[in-house]
Amino acid sequence: MLNYVWAGLIILSFVFGIAYDVRDLSKDTYRNGAAFDISLSTEGAFDEAMRRQNVTVHVSPNYYKSVYSSLGAPDSVFTGVIIRSADGIQLRFAEGAALPEPWSTIRHETSQRDNDMRGTMVFRDKTANSATASVTFGAVRFVKMHAIAAGAISMAETAVSLALGLIGVIALWMGLLKIAEASGLIHSVVRFTQPVFRPLFPEIPKDHPALGLIVLNLTANMLGLGNAATPLGIKAMEELQTLNPDPDTATNSMVMLLAMNTASVQLVPPVILVALMGLQINELIFAILIVTSISLVVAVTSARLLSKLKRYRTAPVDSASQSISTS
Amino acid sequence: METTRTVFEIISAFVLPALIVGFPVYGLIKKVPVYEVFVDGAKDGFKVAVTIIPYLVAILFAIGMFRASGAMDFMVEGLRPIFSWFGVPPEVLPMMIIRPLTGSGSAAIVLDMIQQFGEDSILVKMVATMFGSTETTFYVIAVYFGAVNVRKTRHAIPAGLIADGVSLILSVFVVRWLFG
Repeated sequence: MLNYVWAGLIILSFVFGIAYDVRDLSKDTYRNGAAFDISLSTEGAFDEAMRRQNVTVHVSPNYYKSVYSSLGAPDSVFTGVIIRSADGIQLRFAEGAALPEPWSTIRHETSQRDNDMRGTMVFRDKTANSATASVTFGAVRFVKMHAIAAGAISMAETAVSLALGLIGVIALWMGLLKIAEASGLIHSVVRFTQPVFRPLFPEIPKDHPALGLIVLNLTANMLGLGNAATPLGIKAMEELQTLNPDPDTATNSMVMLLAMNTASVQLVPPVILVALMGLQINELIFAILIVTSISLVVAVTSARLLSKLKRYRTAPVDSASQSISTS
Repeated sequence: METTRTVFEIISAFVLPALIVGFPVYGLIKKVPVYEVFVDGAKDGFKVAVTIIPYLVAILFAIGMFRASGAMDFMVEGLRPIFSWFGVPPEVLPMMIIRPLTGSGSAAIVLDMIQQFGEDSILVKMVATMFGSTETTFYVIAVYFGAVNVRKTRHAIPAGLIADGVSLILSVFVVRWLFG
């Protein structure tokens, strides 16, 4: 399943990316190569001898809307600078100016490093300190192709920093859990909770520490302690792995643990949500409790039922190797 | 509701310190050489984190591409009629698609919708409930299975996604029932 989901994500991204880019090309979304009319004013006077000159750029919002057939329009006044060189005049908008689509995309694609909207400019009509001019922005093509490549690379980096960021918490909990194990604490948790949890994890032998870690993981989850829940879950998986006859393949208990994790009952909502919602979260506690309780039942049931499906049944390792040896 | 929440919040605030202090103290009582044992266990932290990396890279880069491609907009458009037939408002569709894929992405959607509709809006309540009641299934699968090098996840994805789907759709109706 994961093979197909994973490949599906990648292929879909490519297909939809291409679809977007072709649509942009056919609709000429970015008006590549077309001149855009603006007016300029400057303090003092336009001076041909100055290499850089600060200017104020005036854009007509209605003209913008009609040119790009867009809904959004920019502010009508921007600060900018014109730069004269042997190749002509370049107009640069102030760095980081608020721009609507499609200008923000044009800026992103043509001036990634400096984050300033820029284009080559010709004066059309000029008085001492004000002028009209046409700007031609850089051509923008294959936006989505660039975006998916950049997305893949930046998320690959994110993955590594996420994983490395976990080192500290994992080490902390691995250490604490080792103490808990050595002192017999895990064993007590197991004995205390196994009447309730053994039926959900029938593959785990009686009094095995895996169950204690599962209980700790689920408790941490319920209390919204995401930071502790992850290392506890990892440790639980390690214990389950010691019971796994085929280390490459998930056991029923592992899938059950995963399912219960993705649908865990939340007594305390996750920290991020509290930060986002503020006091409003109080009203939602009950809603979240109802939803998670039902989904926990669904998760447990579907993990149990799916494990019985033919395609998800584990190959009995021993008989498989025997049949190979006998044939 | 307020008091229940306060009680749970107090428990939640004390659980972590209690465990962090409690484990070594209990160990001392049981005459475990706590420092030595702690260091011995903590050694694995680095190894586990590094083991996870390939799994996390695999999942996250695919999700990164998917988010950047704009495929979600297409999916939202395609699913809109089906979901509106069920009574699910189209504004919450992006959340339903992104929730199992990325935690930060779905937090961004909640924030976005708070700014767009205001905290009191029923749509914000719906997406916040969705956020609170499901997990980032693909991340959890990558981390948990990655840590033990399990590659064949069998029915973990379907079971996780079924649970997610039920939570996401239930959130809409429970919120509407409580606040609508």
